Amino acid sequence: MSVMKTTRDIKGVGDPIPRADGREKVTGAVQYVADIQPRGLLHAKLLRSPHAHAKIVRIDTSKAKALPGVRAVVTAKDMPQLKKKAPTRAHAVLAIDRVVFSGQPVAAVAADELAIAEEALDLIEVEYQVLPVAVDPLKSMQPGAPPVAEAGTEADTSEALAHSAVALTSSETEPAKAVNISQQATVKRGDVAKGFAEADHVLEKTYRVPMVHQGYLEPHAVLAQWDTVGNLTLWASTQGSFNTRSEVADVLEIPENRIKVIPVECGGGFGGKIRALCEPITAELARVTGKPVRYVMTRKEELEAGMPAPQVIIKLKTGVKRDGTLLALEADTILDTGAFSGTVLAVSAVFLGSMYKWPAFEIRGMEVLTHKPSVAAYRAPGAPQTIFAIESHMAQIARELGLDPLEFRMRHLIQEGDPMVNNQPWQSNGAKQVLAKVGEHPIWKGRKEWAASGGKDGRGLRGTGFALGGWLGGLQPTSATVRLNPDGSLNVLTGQVDIAGTNISLAQIAASAFGVDFDQVKITTGDTDSAPLTGLSAGSKTIYTVGSAVLKAAEDARRQTLEIAAKEMEASIHDLEIRDNKVVVKGAPDKSVTLASIGKKGNLYMSKVPPVLGTATPAFSQQAPGFAAQIARVEVDPDTGETTLHDFVVIQDVGKAINPLGVEGQMQGGAVQSLGIAMTEGLMFDDSGRLMNPSLLDYRKLTAADLPNIETIIVEVPSPSGPFGARGVGEPPIVPAPAAIANAVEDAAGVRITELPVTPERIALARAAKGNGG
Amino acid sequence: MKKQVLSCTVNDEAVEVLVRPYTTLLDALREDLGLTGPKEGCGTGDCGACTVHLDGQPVASCLMLAMQARGRSVRTIEGLAKTGQLHPLQDAFVRHGVPQCGFCIPGVLMAAAAVLAENPKATEQEIRYGIAGNLCRCTGYTKMLAAITEAAGAGSAAGASARREG
Repeated sequence: MSVMKTTRDIKGVGDPIPRADGREKVTGAVQYVADIQPRGLLHAKLLRSPHAHAKIVRIDTSKAKALPGVRAVVTAKDMPQLKKKAPTRAHAVLAIDRVVFSGQPVAAVAADELAIAEEALDLIEVEYQVLPVAVDPLKSMQPGAPPVAEAGTEADTSEALAHSAVALTSSETEPAKAVNISQQATVKRGDVAKGFAEADHVLEKTYRVPMVHQGYLEPHAVLAQWDTVGNLTLWASTQGSFNTRSEVADVLEIPENRIKVIPVECGGGFGGKIRALCEPITAELARVTGKPVRYVMTRKEELEAGMPAPQVIIKLKTGVKRDGTLLALEADTILDTGAFSGTVLAVSAVFLGSMYKWPAFEIRGMEVLTHKPSVAAYRAPGAPQTIFAIESHMAQIARELGLDPLEFRMRHLIQEGDPMVNNQPWQSNGAKQVLAKVGEHPIWKGRKEWAASGGKDGRGLRGTGFALGGWLGGLQPTSATVRLNPDGSLNVLTGQVDIAGTNISLAQIAASAFGVDFDQVKITTGDTDSAPLTGLSAGSKTIYTVGSAVLKAAEDARRQTLEIAAKEMEASIHDLEIRDNKVVVKGAPDKSVTLASIGKKGNLYMSKVPPVLGTATPAFSQQAPGFAAQIARVEVDPDTGETTLHDFVVIQDVGKAINPLGVEGQMQGGAVQSLGIAMTEGLMFDDSGRLMNPSLLDYRKLTAADLPNIETIIVEVPSPSGPFGARGVGEPPIVPAPAAIANAVEDAAGVRITELPVTPERIALARAAKGNGG
Repeated sequence: MKKQVLSCTVNDEAVEVLVRPYTTLLDALREDLGLTGPKEGCGTGDCGACTVHLDGQPVASCLMLAMQARGRSVRTIEGLAKTGQLHPLQDAFVRHGVPQCGFCIPGVLMAAAAVLAENPKATEQEIRYGIAGNLCRCTGYTKMLAAITEAAGAGSAAGASARREG
């Protein structure tokens, strides 16, 4: 990337600048979808199936329709676009003749008041014929299991491609065989059998991670309104307004340019607000009633019928020499995708086999359908679960062979150019530098003293653990414009939803690239009618891709500005620089023209000076992997297994911290989500497929009282391809904690927990089984 | 069910509003009074996003009926800052870059303001327990704690002068 030739420091890239919307957010002024209340607003509710698998025999909506205040009751019969063979969850707007998970919408109501809509749900009569369920993926993948999808429904791999830009080649993907196996892939290299035959040490364990929910505080919400000529406007809480537009257009069979998606402030997404969910049905209710209709999911609906992360089961077997030389790795990964296909199967294979240099491996992956809510992305989809397996395993191998766990990892860690399991080469990355920082950290160096210190009453079991994890980084084409205004200020326009504080960073990039302070730059996320096309805010790719677009658009605007100034001052463009909001001739500071005058001339009656509008429309092929390591220092109660987290450190290579304040926030927030997966979270289903913990009291997220301050160490190994060397930031910090916690607990309490979350109960039972504690 | 008249004070102003007997305080504030700062994150009192002050005490407004506020004083995030200036907690939240998605922030600020009103010199541990009923999914709480403890430090001096005025 080009180096900016400015003679003084610009307030831009690298400065810890608070977000521009901070004031709006602390005063409660910022508006989310549920805060928007147009005149004539109707409220929507969905009737959801209480059964995980049932045939719909009869639906009678007549009583509900007769209730005063009810404006519409819609079932699948009213929507001829709906097909039994729904290719994605979004297409399964309302169940047609069969429900495939508990919580699946069966009918929809719009009413004058929310309470009336709720009452109407009680008046809809649905007769179900309950069918056998497949809840456990291990049973669901057996021949003869109750089928989930309609025969012939294809696997949905769009998530994998858009979000993580990881794919296995088609020859590696096998056609699905058993009834509920929706995707299947194997990657192998070398002679695995020979590797195991030569091994001194073979370790085999099965790691289990339950479904977890993204946990955004703002439930899914959408407001829909049609105009009188057939254009639909959606105010959406989404991670990608153009994606929402495409999906809604596809489901409702209307042209994309008839839909305007306005991305309202998104109250958290973390992957769960990528795919359309309640937008199509809300749009349909608005069409039928001719009124604005708002639908807001309840928390119970979110937990029962959102789009959580898949349940993951990984059977992992390794063979190594006594000195720790790696020989062979064999793995079976089962991803429980719920009722619709949509997992990122390739991520699991890549991270199991590609972090360390295994000369021989065979990794088999399988996506299995079950009668549970279908899954979607959750921040680094597949990576925390996979890293839990491989990083627990690596620590255990080191423990059993008496090797230093850090040195053992360092010895076998990949570097740039090494082949991943899909034979793509690893791009430049900072994995080694991140791991080295673990070794330098006082908490890691002081682990023996900590283990010996005994806790508050001398009986506490203390331990330290770490894990390394990462994310390859998503790729998607994008576009941005940078405009010079008549007063010399800049407007940056993208369609990119700001879910992570990226807009302030993009403004900083534009400022540094153009040559003005960031407060001269206003950045806007436009709606799908006005903004240039862009992709999802997902895959840790906003700064990497949109940042590149903004950088190039700002450079383009700068070049146009300098060309106009060069003509005006009869100087060579190469002798010009932008300084203090003026274009000046280098070495002749009295020869200058203000940015404002250039901007003004681009908007003057009869002016021959064109307006300055920088544009960029890049597409990408090169990823910039980001690695994070986390160190956990814990104390385990010897009687109860209760684990107290005393210290937690996140070390992350971000390439270049465009805005260190925002980067720290991402690292801390990601770490705590990772700790939630590690220690408390998990959706629990009973044998009939019903969720047993559908509230935030029972689905336990970490609170301020559960946690220490999260220490952040930013490592900057510049990416050769990202703007100013930046890499993706959002996802790497959610990856390592499950393994870091399991490793710390093992160090403290002498038991290896292989099933998440690492609960006191699991620790106490494992200790009792081992003959100590309990 | 017929609507009833709720008379109370909201952010220092007397209000009268018609509400259903089953309307929650949160819905009355948001839907009838247009105060959308308090948020509904769960509707069951588990997330804290709807936290407001009732006669100075923090409450989960999603768990209260609107009519229970009759004759009492309600303060929402919209009324935390007086005379157009940010409350010290709000100012600290902005400077520390606390808000990310921002959905939990109004509730966290009201909970934190209640903690500091009761104990202007609250320790970090006391603050942690004081906001333990407020879930945040974005920040990991670290910057939040830094901002609140800083406001607590500054607030003990400011609080003393405020008490003298009162």
